[in-house]
Parts: sequence; structure tokens; C-alpha cells
Amino acid sequence: MWINMGPQHPMTHGLWNLRIKVDGETIVDAEPEVGYLHRGIEKLCEDRTYTQIIPITDRLCYGSSLTWSHLYCLTVEDLMGVEVPPRAEYIRVAAIEMQRIASHLMWLAAYAVDLGLMLGFIYGMRDREIFIDILQALSGSRLTYNFPRIGGVAHDVPPNFERDTLRACAFMEKKLDEYEDIYEGSKVFMLRNEGVGLLKKTDAMNLGITGPPLRASGVNYDLRKDMPYSVYPDMDFEVATHKDGDCYARYKVRMDEMRESCKIIRQAVTKMPKGKTRIVAPRNAPVGTGLGRVEDPRGEGVMYVVGDGTDKPYRLKIRSPIFVTVSAAPKMLIGYKVADVVAIMGGLDMCIGETDR
Amino acid sequence: MDERGKTSVKQNEGLEKAPSQIGQDPEERVIRALLDNFSTAVTDFKKLRKGVVRARVERRDLYKACMFLRDNQGFEHLSMISAVEYDSKFEIVYHLTSYQNKLLLELITTTPKEDLSVDSVSSIWEGANWQERESYDLMGVKFNNHPKLERILLPKDFMYHPLRKEFKG
Repeated sequence: MWINMGPQHPMTHGLWNLRIKVDGETIVDAEPEVGYLHRGIEKLCEDRTYTQIIPITDRLCYGSSLTWSHLYCLTVEDLMGVEVPPRAEYIRVAAIEMQRIASHLMWLAAYAVDLGLMLGFIYGMRDREIFIDILQALSGSRLTYNFPRIGGVAHDVPPNFERDTLRACAFMEKKLDEYEDIYEGSKVFMLRNEGVGLLKKTDAMNLGITGPPLRASGVNYDLRKDMPYSVYPDMDFEVATHKDGDCYARYKVRMDEMRESCKIIRQAVTKMPKGKTRIVAPRNAPVGTGLGRVEDPRGEGVMYVVGDGTDKPYRLKIRSPIFVTVSAAPKMLIGYKVADVVAIMGGLDMCIGETDR
Repeated sequence: MDERGKTSVKQNEGLEKAPSQIGQDPEERVIRALLDNFSTAVTDFKKLRKGVVRARVERRDLYKACMFLRDNQGFEHLSMISAVEYDSKFEIVYHLTSYQNKLLLELITTTPKEDLSVDSVSSIWEGANWQERESYDLMGVKFNNHPKLERILLPKDFMYHPLRKEFKG
């Protein structure tokens, strides 16, 4: 029997549909369906100038919009051959890592409520506000920041930025221990996580899964470390990995990543050099291609831009990590019970905005 | 190695080192392996920056080259497939990642507009399945031997391929 879980379902966190074929309680086949939120962003970009596209790329993912506008600027800088001033790079790295914590906390809150731990939802959303407030002081808005520019960032940091950020990091590191006590102390949470949604290392690589789910399957690969961009080579941090490959491992990898992000923010804020925050980029891009790759909170984000000498891109291709990850859902779901769907799909941290583009 | 392979070596800046130095960098090792095995099909090598190599591949040898890259050169992951439309041709760009060698290979293949099809690589990397469906949906590129080449983002009864240049952005 085929069951439609979605497009309106408490499990989906956005508009998408999961069709599962069940034999009793056991899943024997699964088929995700996406496309409900397709806005044609790649086409929209072709009729706008390079600067006008920055706010559009913010709308790709509501959970971590800063990563996407940063990725776009990185790609166009590669195409135009623009050097970014060092101070701007440090501000960007601090901001992206704060965005990563905010995104992971939103996932943690949603995941908790999926698995019947309402307390986790309240705590996660409450502590996310601290980082959202700092990002608001930095850029002026709470969700879609429009902060990076081609050749730097929009403006310098606000007064007391260093003090507030260091305080937030110290607070967050203490809170993470508390979260782990709450989550792992809950018997229901552990029963629904451990040994559920197993994904082997070879499968994870072949299916194109990236980000925390890949590292939870035992592959030590993080673009910030292995193909560094921006000023990540100067930062001292560990790549969080786990070898089990189940939902618990994915949860654990994200928790450890938040700790590492706190470390990076602290270094970026204290090492930040003085100087300019932005240089003026040329209006027209040369004929050629540009490529940008970043470690998004959800996986590997890639953009490929083709320039034709005018002020508008000829083609902009966006690689969404979740679009590929969700195509691997049948591999994780088959053999488990219907009740495990929530834990398995929730553990992937889906964001439909970037999946459908 | 035939004549064409040798000219490719000369064009490539990365290989203008002493012979003992060749094979030190992972980038050069991949270029060397591709030249040895696909001397006519894979051309225009260029090292873009550290860890990123670009090459062009003939359409008919794409599947064989991809199989070779996965099994012998450690490219376990297909990052992205992008289709780019030009006046009389389409360029299909494959970005392959090697986790063990920390490499990114940009493999470009061209297909004429009259016969808009390339071989599917979804049997090599399963992650390519949906990306090829997306390229078919939005650009109309046919992928031969694909297990299920259907529309994915747009409704099934949609009649156009909206990312083509005949539509305005």
C-alpha cells in the first residue's frame, strides 16, 4: 500500500511529499517528490545584474541565508578575479559560523519537536535568538541578511561586536552541554535515534550525500579543512565525525560542529585585522567561468557561473545539498518502520527553499 | 602516446617541470593518468588553482572516462551536473570530487542541439540520478540509459524546458 506523507504533514517542515510503500508497518519502497516551491531562481538571475542577485540568493534557504549569499559572492569573485580585503574575510567567517550555529539550533529545535521533546524546541529557539541578535546588529535584518558584497561585506562591524560575540560563544558552549544532558537523558529520544536510518560509508559517498550526514557515516571530509576557502586555513578547529552512520551519529556530528563553530568565531573575532571592508568590484564580468564551493550547514553548496562580458550572468547553476541528499532517502528508509520516517527524514535537516530553488 | 596527446602536454603549464617532479601533485597524477588512457578523448587540461583541474571530454567516451575516474582515480563523489546552452550546442559540465586526493575535476562535454543527448552516469554515481532528471526537466537534455528520466521540479504535464534561452529571465 502506498501512503502519501505530505505535502501537508507535520513531518515535512515545508512543502514536499514522501510516498512510502508499506507492508504492514515495514517500509518496502519510498519515493520523495519535490518541486512545490520551485521559483526558477536560476532563470531569475539571468535577467539581473550581478549585484541585484545577492538578495535573491538570500532567499534560497531560510535557515542559513548568509551562506548562500556568501557562496554567490565567492563565485562571482572567482569569475571577476577580485581580491577581498582581509578584514572583510574575517567578518564573513565570523558571520557564517554564527549562521551555522543558528541553523543547527533551528534544526535541533525542529528535530526535538518531531521526536516528542517539546522542551528542546523551546530551548533551541530561545538560544538561537542570541546569534540572530548579533547578526541583526551586524547586518540589519534577522533572516535574510543581504550582507556580503562582491569584493567584501556591506559595512564594518558594529560597536562592541567583539565583546558580544565572545559572550555569546561562552554562553553557547555551556548551553551545548546542557542540551546534550537533556536530549541524551531522554529515553524516548535515544530509542528513536540509535540504530535508526543506517547508512554505510560506501553508500553515502556513492549517493552524493554531503555535510553532516556524510561525516556521520565516517567520512572525514569538510570543505573548510580539505579545500579551504576564505581564511579557514588560518583557523584551528577539528572536523566533527562519527562512525556509526545512524540518526544518533548525525545528531552528534551537528552538536560537535556547533562547538567547533564557537572556536572558529572566537579566533576570527580576536584575529580580525584592521583595514578596509570592501573594494569596488567591476560592473561587467569577463568572458569565462567561476566556481565557488562552500560547506553549507546542510552539505556541499556549489555555484557555477558563466560570464559573457556583460553585467548579467549568462548562466548560474546552483547545487543544493539537500536536493541530492533527499534523493538518497529510499536507501535509508527501506526496512524500517513507518514511525522511524520522522526521525530519519528529520535528521537530514531539510530546507525546501534550496531544494526546489 | 600519439601526436595529439603530446600537444596537450605542451599546452599544460603544470607539466613543464623536470620529469622527476611529475607525479608529485595529485593534480598532475590525474592529468597523467587521463593522458595515458584517453589520449584522444580527453583534451584541454588546465590546472585552475590548487586542487581544481579542468578537462574536456568527447561525448562518446564520457561514460568510459567517468568509470575510469571513479575506479582508478578515486573520484567517489559527483558534486554537480550543469547544462549550459550556447547558440548551436550545449555544454554539460560535471564536477567530480575525490575525497581521498582532495581534488575537484571539472569535466566538460559538448553536445549539438540537433542530437541533445549524453550517456547517463547515474549507474556510476547514484547521486547523479536526480541531477540528471533536473537537467532534463529544466533544459531538455536527454540522458541515455537513465533509469527514470521524468520531470522532477515541474508538473509532469508541463510542455516546455524553461531554463532555455528562448525564455526571458
